[in-house]
Amino acid sequence: MSDHHITPLRTYLIIASCLFFLSGVTVWVSYIDLGSFNIVLAMLVATVKASLVAFFFMHLLWDDKKNLVLFLMSLMFFGIFVVITMIDTEFRGALGFNPETKNPITKRASFYGQLPLTDTHGYPVDSHDDIHHGDDDHH
Amino acid sequence: MIENEKQNYLTHPKGIMSWLLTLDHKRIGLMYLVSGILFFFMGGLLALGMRLELAAPGNDFISNEQYNNIYTLHGAIMIFLFIIPAIPGALGNILLPLMVGAKDVAFPRLNLASFYIYSFGALFALYTIINGGVDTGWTFYTPYSTQSSSNVVPMTLGIFIIGFSSILTGLNFIATVHKMRIPGLTWYKLPLFVWALYGTSLVQITATPVLAITMVLLMLERFLGIGIFDPALGGDPVLYQHFFWFYSHPAVYIMILPAFGIISEIIPVHSRKKIWGYKFIAYSTLSIAFIGFLVWGHHMFTSGQSVFSQIVFSFITYFVGIPTGVKIFSWILTMYKGQVSFTPPMIYALSFLFLFTIGGLTGIFLGAVALDIHLHDTYFVVAHFHYVMQGGTIVAFLGGLHHWWPKSFGTMYNQTIANICAFGVFLGFNGTFFPQFLLGLRGMPRRYATYSDQFVELHSYSTFWSGILGFSIFFAIVNLFWSFVKKNKVDPGSNPWGGMSLEWTHTSSPPHPHNFETDPVFEHGPYDYDKVIVEKTYKK
Ligand code: HEM
Ligand SMILES: [Cu+2]
Repeated sequence: MSDHHITPLRTYLIIASCLFFLSGVTVWVSYIDLGSFNIVLAMLVATVKASLVAFFFMHLLWDDKKNLVLFLMSLMFFGIFVVITMIDTEFRGALGFNPETKNPITKRASFYGQLPLTDTHGYPVDSHDDIHHGDDDHH
Repeated sequence: MIENEKQNYLTHPKGIMSWLLTLDHKRIGLMYLVSGILFFFMGGLLALGMRLELAAPGNDFISNEQYNNIYTLHGAIMIFLFIIPAIPGALGNILLPLMVGAKDVAFPRLNLASFYIYSFGALFALYTIINGGVDTGWTFYTPYSTQSSSNVVPMTLGIFIIGFSSILTGLNFIATVHKMRIPGLTWYKLPLFVWALYGTSLVQITATPVLAITMVLLMLERFLGIGIFDPALGGDPVLYQHFFWFYSHPAVYIMILPAFGIISEIIPVHSRKKIWGYKFIAYSTLSIAFIGFLVWGHHMFTSGQSVFSQIVFSFITYFVGIPTGVKIFSWILTMYKGQVSFTPPMIYALSFLFLFTIGGLTGIFLGAVALDIHLHDTYFVVAHFHYVMQGGTIVAFLGGLHHWWPKSFGTMYNQTIANICAFGVFLGFNGTFFPQFLLGLRGMPRRYATYSDQFVELHSYSTFWSGILGFSIFFAIVNLFWSFVKKNKVDPGSNPWGGMSLEWTHTSSPPHPHNFETDPVFEHGPYDYDKVIVEKTYKK
């Protein structure tokens, strides 16, 4: 194997202070409202921190490059998982007309709240007990 | 003889502690083997219980609730406690260092730790059984699994823990293959079983963490009410299936790749012919491992996932057939014009070819969305995965045990009985599971304790043959262990099948505690039957 790399303490201390600083950044930006960009920024900072740990504390920078390949492979598999799953949720209901399948995730809970109570045929149950509506009332 | 007996790993350090604290990969492998087989029997008894119930319509023996528990435990035990940990754990552990010419795996202590982690996880599973079972199915689908009052928590915790044992074993094997090969044993000179274990290990370390995360998320939702899978809390139930199958489809390759490796060893040795298409087999292992990560959605065609994803997953699923087909044809071409002898391992290997091909092809049927909409959750799926997992993996495992038994344990079983049992397994297996394809095509749903009258005939056939299958497997394994009792020792230097890889040519049977008395020198490749003549020697 290649000779062992010994990291000077100074490097460790610098990296550690970077990590502390970035933790501060995470807290700080959480007070600023950037809309959906908040989460992106938080993940970005977290990624930078994780990379610092992996490259310096875990010696990936100086190690046998095979280890780096394995590390990148695991990131790739993670990417495959997230991307394909997101594709599913993005397109869900795209070829159907049912509003319930269209917005299945976050909006779903509140979506239920907006709907009137219906019986098994989809007719509202709280009004006009005996009179059934014509078909044009429904989608 | 006497001298050698002092030096074999089975008898050398004596006493119970020398086993419990052993760092010897062969002893650890044997412990995995014994515990795996115990769970195999446990799962098998549960299966026979189910078949008994299904012999006739109506709830004759067990209630619906009991039936739910039994099929869940059957599936979970067979998959998570037997096939996934025990096959690489047993055969992989015993053989990998021998095959690469090493004294042990790269991290012997970690290896022992893996075994204890596995045992610790298994305790949770046993607790689940004693405490009344779990009834969600081995897949633990939400929303039911977050609501069921059965033992979802101990069972998933057990699976979570056993996952770590898988990861550590995988890590250990990868390091062993990279670092412990003797000089001259280059990648393309490795026995294909080593390639198979390497591919399996890659899948283990990349996929298993996702299983652990899935189980953790399940618990977070159960205990803390964090909405991940429950729509009422803003979650998505289909997301659970994405998580679960992102692990569990690659996991089916954790189950089948070692079996492919075993078959790649048995066929050339028992045909005395160089393996056909070495590099094709080696690389198809890696490509199966990779493609296996891209097809998980084929388990979810009726789950409500998007139509777009269905099309993509269906399309990619067909690609799995290519490397699989490459292997099957390579094995068949290996036998062509070889000196095939019908020894017990070879009979298992031939059964494997037949059964796995049926299993794999029906997998492709199921990969077609339009067909799967009809066949999903019917007995057709049950038949498919039994053809690949039992007809494939377990038959190969039995073949591997018979092949390496004299090497690993220095005793020879009764070969006639072994042959009869191997036939019994083949017939019993087809008798049990072929009718299930027909049942599924006619609409019999899986996971029901009872059924309507039109299915009686096929179900009762299936039950009848499952008895034969059960007996055959039981006696096949008893026959193996009986060789210990009978002390039917093989000569320490013997090579009963004429194998060419290091474990046959350079170690005694059973091996020395440190595997090789002198440092092995690489002389010829594992399949060089065209260059070197290796004698079959059994007893002098
Ligand atoms: C030739 C490659 C294969 C293909 C294309 C394939 C395809 C499929 C498909 C599409 C399904 C889903 C059926 C459904 O639920 O409607 C399925 C189920 C299954 N397959 Fe395969 N398969 C293959 C090989 C294997 C192998 C090698 C194993 C294991 C050793 C395996 C184990 C399973 C299991 C356990 C299930 C059912 C899971 C469950 O719902 O409980 N398959 N397969
Ligand atoms: Cu699959």
